[in-house]
Amino acid sequence: MMPAANPTLIQNPLRQPADLLRRYTIYAVIVAVILAMSVHLLVYGTDWSRMGSPSEIAETAISLLPNLNFIPKIVSPLLDTALMAFWGTLLAVVMSVPVSYLAAATTTPSMIFTFPIGRGLIVLSRSTHEIIFALIFVATLGLGPLPGILALACRSVGFMSKTTAEAMENVDRGPIEAIAATGAGPTARFLFGVVPQVFPMFLGNAIFAFDANVRRAAILGMVGAGGIGLHFSEQMKSYNYGNAGACVLAVVILVVVGEIVSNRIRTKLISG
Amino acid sequence: MALLEVNNLRKTFPTGEKALNGVDLSVEKREIVALLGLSGSGKSTLLRCINRLVDPDSGQVVLDSTDITSLGKHDLRKARVQMGMIFQEFNLVNRLSVIENVLSGTLGVTSLWRTITRAFKKDDIQRAIELCSRVGIADHIAKRADQLSGGQRQRVGIARALMQNPKLLLVDEPTSSLDPKIGAEVMELVCEVADERNIPVLFSVHDLGIARTYSQRIIGLQQGEKVFDEQTSALDANSIEHIYGFAPNGSPASVAH
Amino acid sequence: MADNTADLHKIYLSGRRAARLVKYGAGLALLVFGFWTVSFLEIPMDRLFGLFGRLGPMLANRIFPPDLAYATDWKVLLSLVETIEMSILGAFFGTVIAIPLAWWAAWNITPNRTILYPFARAVIVLCRSVPALILGFLLVAIFVFGPFAGVLALTIGTIGFTGKLMAEQAETIDMGPVEAMRATGAGPLKVFIFGIWPQVKPAWSGIIIYNWDARLRGSTILGFVGAGGIGLHLRLQISQLEYHAAMGIIILVVVLVIFSEAMSHFLRERLR
Repeated sequence: MMPAANPTLIQNPLRQPADLLRRYTIYAVIVAVILAMSVHLLVYGTDWSRMGSPSEIAETAISLLPNLNFIPKIVSPLLDTALMAFWGTLLAVVMSVPVSYLAAATTTPSMIFTFPIGRGLIVLSRSTHEIIFALIFVATLGLGPLPGILALACRSVGFMSKTTAEAMENVDRGPIEAIAATGAGPTARFLFGVVPQVFPMFLGNAIFAFDANVRRAAILGMVGAGGIGLHFSEQMKSYNYGNAGACVLAVVILVVVGEIVSNRIRTKLISG
Repeated sequence: MALLEVNNLRKTFPTGEKALNGVDLSVEKREIVALLGLSGSGKSTLLRCINRLVDPDSGQVVLDSTDITSLGKHDLRKARVQMGMIFQEFNLVNRLSVIENVLSGTLGVTSLWRTITRAFKKDDIQRAIELCSRVGIADHIAKRADQLSGGQRQRVGIARALMQNPKLLLVDEPTSSLDPKIGAEVMELVCEVADERNIPVLFSVHDLGIARTYSQRIIGLQQGEKVFDEQTSALDANSIEHIYGFAPNGSPASVAH
Repeated sequence: MADNTADLHKIYLSGRRAARLVKYGAGLALLVFGFWTVSFLEIPMDRLFGLFGRLGPMLANRIFPPDLAYATDWKVLLSLVETIEMSILGAFFGTVIAIPLAWWAAWNITPNRTILYPFARAVIVLCRSVPALILGFLLVAIFVFGPFAGVLALTIGTIGFTGKLMAEQAETIDMGPVEAMRATGAGPLKVFIFGIWPQVKPAWSGIIIYNWDARLRGSTILGFVGAGGIGLHLRLQISQLEYHAAMGIIILVVVLVIFSEAMSHFLRERLR
């Protein structure tokens, strides 16, 4: 039984010297590249004179330990962060319906025009960091959580649309054929044939996106787009490291709680 | 005047595969006709060309004096309502309940709003429930379709097709995914309900025994061409050989898949 | 038989009524929640409606045309290279640490369930719960300004990201070869190398590539908080109100990310 499950054991005795040489050269190249980059960034690229002694480093690290007295002041911004994540995700879900319709080869009205537009929007959404979206929206809407919500929506719509479009393209054609055979039109074929197959995965992805957006929402405040990020950077800039640590603790708790809730809902979805 | 007439139907797929090579057939108002042939002989394609789930390259399909092949999209949908189709793989919507699957048989005539809100008409709901009773799945109405056994799912498929009040039943290898015993029950049911409604059945099959047992007439298909079109009683060893292209000893078990 | 169908009809209708109630109730609750959010977050709805009116001119005048001459300046390109190097180093070091952690954090194959398992799980969760930008900020404060902090932040991010995915993947493997190895009396390391590694290698390789792609996106912004990479230039240009130059950088970054995603997609396909 063992030989069948251990390809390495079978292959080793038969391995040619040429193969081994190739493998080791690849390893050597990788190590060399990593070494070169490390030297470039971590030796030359780093101002070691400004680093401080190990005890100074430890001191700074310890000063970051959360100052629990600060927590009451950041409960409200923390709530803002959670709300931003929720509504940003919801908006992304809504926006992803037309975009995935355009980006799925099976439903897009025109392969030449609308399909590339749909796919292009997805690429843009997934390649642009949420901070960049936030900067643009803050410039047009001013400070506050609203630009943050829009930024999160723009960032998530790509993921939701991409997975939904791919699911729609890979859907089982049988039920759609059956619905068509009853004389149903395109709307009925879509609603009864495609949607029931795609919906569970769609919901699961929405929850996953929410999870990711909680983390993203936490940093958007650093550019003025609402949430706890602003308080964090303010405390850091004024060297109130204990308070900043409290902000980090709050973020960690929010993220962990968010994940637990998400997992609960997702397991219920799978079983229900 | 036959209810269904098919004239010189041809279909070649983009891959080059010649599925139908000039097939003629007709089905009378009250007949049970078996479309017999091996896998790849064109049976499924032929059935799908009749309700134009697959569009034929050339030829004519006439249902009750209406030329199906020349219909536009809108009229085609109306025509499809008159042809109930039952599938080999059942083709139910797995996440929906049995009753919703049966009700989906009315989607050809349901308004857009009712389709979106899934608010089917009371009369349709009543009919659907009665059909579920008739096909023997009344106990499972609220269950999700994928919780049913194969035989039960096919019954749902039959009920769905009957919801259309069709003039004709197109049945694509209804028993190929079922155990022989269950398959026999399903075939019995199809013949019964067709008889009750006075509608003809055209069913495709590769199993000789099933074709013999349940049909009044057999149309044999081999590589896209019709090679047999007689009463079932006229089927003999020679014609069997002609249809299959080799000589089985006649019993269902020996027919190779 | 007749009244049986009448009963079933009633049951169906009441079921539908209940479903409809739930749907409308949830919709109503969402609407109320929305209104509450708008008031709680003090969202300026009037600004929202003027958004597209203002976004267009802003994009047209203040951002376009992007200053590509600036973006292709050698200093900027050098920092782009630095960004890429950061992502590679962070992904590399993080993966090296994550592999044993993932092994320990997988319930079925962990060598020690009482200590190593919870420890590994906790480390992975913690590494995942702090957003990269916050981490970068903290590390700059603790250590030094520059790519050192960025590489460290990306390493930690990698540990969290790949650790979770690899552990989940490992929990799905076939235990047969593992038990066979254990039966020979081999120590945990040998069990891993010969029983576990060959099974997880394909999936883990995909995860590693996917992770690098994700790290690259994060590394483009880390410079915003001084942790190295092109983000610094972005912040600089924005603070100087040089929006055309900022847009040039954004375009550069987006192109880079698109390219890296294409490559990671290509490599993951090649792996199959």
